Amino acid sequence: MKPVDPRLLRELPAVRLPLLQLAIMGAVAGVATVTTAVALAVLVDDVVSGTGLRSGLLALAVLTLVRAAAAYDVEQRAAAVGHLVSSTLRRRLLGRHLADPTGPTGPTGTRDTSGVVQGEGTMTTLGTQGCTSVETYVTRFLPALLQAGTVPAVAIVTLVVVDWRSAAIVLLTVPLLPVFAALIGRSTEEATRRRWTAMHDLSGHFLDVVRGLPTLVSYGRARRQAASIAAVSERHRVETMATLRLAFLSSTALELLATLSVALVAVTVGIRLAAGDLGLRAALIAIVLAPEAYWPIRRVGAEFHAAADGAQALGSILDVLAAPAPIPAMTPTTTPTGPSEVVLEDVTLAYAGEPPVLEHLSLRAGSGLTVVTGPSGCGKTTLLELIADLRRPESGTVTAPPAHLVSQRPVLISGSVRDNLRLGNAATDAELWAALRDVGLDGVVAALPAGMDEPVGDDGFGLSAGQRARLGLARAVLSAARVLLVDEPTAHLDEANVEVVHALLTRIAGERVVIAVTHRPELVLLADRHLAMPVRAGASS
Amino acid sequence: MVAALLGAASTTAGIALTVTSGWLIVRASERPVILTLMVAIVAVRAFGMARPALRYLERLRSHDVALHDLVDRRRDTYLQLVPLTPARLGHRRRSDVLTGVTEDLDDVVQAQVRVTVPVVTALVAAGVTGLLTALLEPAVGFTIAGLLAAAATVFAISARRESSRQAAFSDGRAEVARIVELVGARGNDLRAVGAQEDALRWLDDAHARLARVASAVGRTRAEAVAQLGLLTGAATLVAAWIVAGTSSAAPVKGLLVLAPVAVGEAMVPVVDASRAWVRARGAKKRLEALLTQEPAVVPGGSTPVLVDADPPLLELRGVSASWSARGLGPTTTNVGPVDLVLLPGSRTLITGANGSGKSTLLAVLARQLDPTAGRYEVDGLEAMTMDLDGLRALFAIVDDEPYVLGTTLRENLRLAAPEAPDTHLRASLERAGLGSWFGGLPAGLDTRLGAGGRGMSGGERARLGVARAFVSSRPVILLDEPMAHLDLHTARQVLATVLDGADRGTVVVVSHQPLSTDRFDQVVVLDARTSSDATARSRQSSTP
Repeated sequence: MKPVDPRLLRELPAVRLPLLQLAIMGAVAGVATVTTAVALAVLVDDVVSGTGLRSGLLALAVLTLVRAAAAYDVEQRAAAVGHLVSSTLRRRLLGRHLADPTGPTGPTGTRDTSGVVQGEGTMTTLGTQGCTSVETYVTRFLPALLQAGTVPAVAIVTLVVVDWRSAAIVLLTVPLLPVFAALIGRSTEEATRRRWTAMHDLSGHFLDVVRGLPTLVSYGRARRQAASIAAVSERHRVETMATLRLAFLSSTALELLATLSVALVAVTVGIRLAAGDLGLRAALIAIVLAPEAYWPIRRVGAEFHAAADGAQALGSILDVLAAPAPIPAMTPTTTPTGPSEVVLEDVTLAYAGEPPVLEHLSLRAGSGLTVVTGPSGCGKTTLLELIADLRRPESGTVTAPPAHLVSQRPVLISGSVRDNLRLGNAATDAELWAALRDVGLDGVVAALPAGMDEPVGDDGFGLSAGQRARLGLARAVLSAARVLLVDEPTAHLDEANVEVVHALLTRIAGERVVIAVTHRPELVLLADRHLAMPVRAGASS
Repeated sequence: MVAALLGAASTTAGIALTVTSGWLIVRASERPVILTLMVAIVAVRAFGMARPALRYLERLRSHDVALHDLVDRRRDTYLQLVPLTPARLGHRRRSDVLTGVTEDLDDVVQAQVRVTVPVVTALVAAGVTGLLTALLEPAVGFTIAGLLAAAATVFAISARRESSRQAAFSDGRAEVARIVELVGARGNDLRAVGAQEDALRWLDDAHARLARVASAVGRTRAEAVAQLGLLTGAATLVAAWIVAGTSSAAPVKGLLVLAPVAVGEAMVPVVDASRAWVRARGAKKRLEALLTQEPAVVPGGSTPVLVDADPPLLELRGVSASWSARGLGPTTTNVGPVDLVLLPGSRTLITGANGSGKSTLLAVLARQLDPTAGRYEVDGLEAMTMDLDGLRALFAIVDDEPYVLGTTLRENLRLAAPEAPDTHLRASLERAGLGSWFGGLPAGLDTRLGAGGRGMSGGERARLGVARAFVSSRPVILLDEPMAHLDLHTARQVLATVLDGADRGTVVVVSHQPLSTDRFDQVVVLDARTSSDATARSRQSSTP
């Protein structure tokens, strides 16, 4: 894991300038910090020696203002840049995922028929926790790193001018800090890693049991777990304390090292002062500046611990973004003119570890209605997903203009009816009503308390399966895609609505390519083409 | 508190280190006999060693205390959650609610380390320094007191601002997370309807809103940092001006001018403490709101539940129920009044649009939710008078997201029946259609599943839930929305598995998608809020 990943700048040009500005302001703040320390030393000298106070006070006042302004700017800038970096990364991730959901950002976890492991997809984890920890990394760790890069350097340069002997001591001892940190880190690495793993397992236990509560309660096993929660939490405490003892010990060792180094400066300065080899002003500046060379480095160590997750996540996200792009995705916004045609040539597709779903399939579907039938599990849905560019064949070619697919569970978002209808199009209200009329849903929507503005819950909460299916069809009517794919459009409809939908499909087929998967013999009679798919050998869920 | 005092001692040592160093240097410049410096030199060394050592002890102590506290609170919170589960955890996304509980608990406990310790530390250290300097020069003591008071005001204002923005900030974050999760889970479906641009636009909008709040929050913190710096500078200037006018010895003058700087530095950690405090407060409020709810079920009476060879006769008469308790989310799902008779060994399908109260009805049957009206009888006896645990033990529930615990397959199954022998577990897996899956497991029943273990597909998880129900041998199986997260084909197979494998048991299936009705003895259609044509449509059967 690298503290700073150069790919960040390469992959996200938009964050280069803000990061540069942050670095510059960080340097300005560093110089202000050192200068303020010098001004403080000068002021102490002025007070002690009883010389004129005015210039010293004025200098410190001005520098305090400058330093506060610089600190304000760095803090705020760091927060803004943190947000910029994390949101830019997130947008790139989402864009990548939408261009190729089965690519490096998958698995999405919804298609368990494909043998894909269910669970949080890579995209979701990286896009939520991942990007958030990158934000912490940018707002906390990077400024600390900048500080460590500037403040000690400026302090040492100033010391060289004021008192080169002290500068020499600092210059010799400062490198000890990172060396020491690395040595401690190396010798405790194994123990720390072992403990982290143990700690991680133990801390996950409580979350696991709590999330499983509904299941445990329903089988009457919940109360028994209370004792094990206490026992595991106690072990977690013991393990955590052991880990922390190591971590704190190493940071204490570093602090002690820094203190000793500063003491070394102070002692030599004191002796030379007492011997009359050094002026008070220079001595004061030396002891005020010496600590400035050490604490920024210690702070990097402390912040890095917290930012390690972010650095790790940043690496993973950049890996994903750097992965080779899919075959140029078909953009749905362009509407090709002229005759559209869907052509599949000798296509074979199999899910990992299973016999092929589609084998040597060829299909040529021009405008008009093509109906696909076949027994359950023979790959009809997969065929539609291939044409919609949601899957890629193992062999063979698929040529198709951008298509709109109405799946068995058309996607619904939490928003109004209007929001859901306008997914993928920019239709006016009049067009929306016309589309609702086409699917026989206008009456239902008009009867809703808020009409078109009626909220539809997450994943279609509040709608019946049939209403959901027809909403999906209305959206397909509104789509500009030249190819319309529908998967079992009438599965949840009563006879009256089935006729409405069949009439609609034949009407659209007059203008576009329509490919429908169905069990309905009536629709087969209306079709211009009929593809009857055979039973798949070894069909399984 | 001990930890906070250790912290205070450490910080005081740090301040003492700074000021005595100042004294020492100035004194040394007067070229005294070196012996007169010895006391100060020893003091500086002692302070220099004490600061890290005391800090080390403080950190160990404070984390240990917090973790001890976490042990107790986890157990207590868990026990408080048990009677609230599942009905009071909200109707949907329960596992998110529960994840939130564990996170909130951590925030509350961490507050000791992140809030109490730094605040007390800064307060005590600054107070001690103020008192000591006041002994040397009262005016400087007052200056430090003034610095302390002004800094406290800054922190109070900053905490208040931050707490007023906290809600908007976490809403903004949640909205972004919601969009990411939607796109992550349904990327293909969005692509299918050409909604890629829409999804990215939602994200951009959510980001823009979050950016506004985040920048306000960032500004609050930046202001606190800058103001603390200004206050420290001002106090130093005042101290210098005061000290210059006094007749103290030169070394004491040096000490007094440096004191405000040291105090100001000691207060820097408090900036982060105020943020942690705001978070902890929000977390505490949420936990209280959740945990102080009335349980959804009154423990009931003591009439024992007789378990015989036949499943019980279950009757609901004019039953109504509601999920909502005080302080719960906006979705209030009501059902009823409903009449329902479940004959022993019958197969019932409950259908209707989303939100029509199907799951509510199921929860009443399983005694997870008390009816608000009507009568519920089990074998002719009033259910409310019967032993709650005994009654609940009649029902095996397979919900839409069967949870897989992070343990072995054996333990995952045996939580339904602790005494079940391996042969029974294997047979149940077979009946649930997991035979070939089980055959492919490297370690058989000892295979670790769930978090940190082997991943399972949605279909496999659903079947594991069914296998659990079979393992439990409970006479009534309730299947809640088997299709919710599965594709139609897999869902139908899982359903067929239950109907085939349930043997003589009673089966109730809730689904908002109409299933083939031929295998059911009765179909109950609930009316939905928005659906006027629910009945007609749901009666129609589709061919699998």
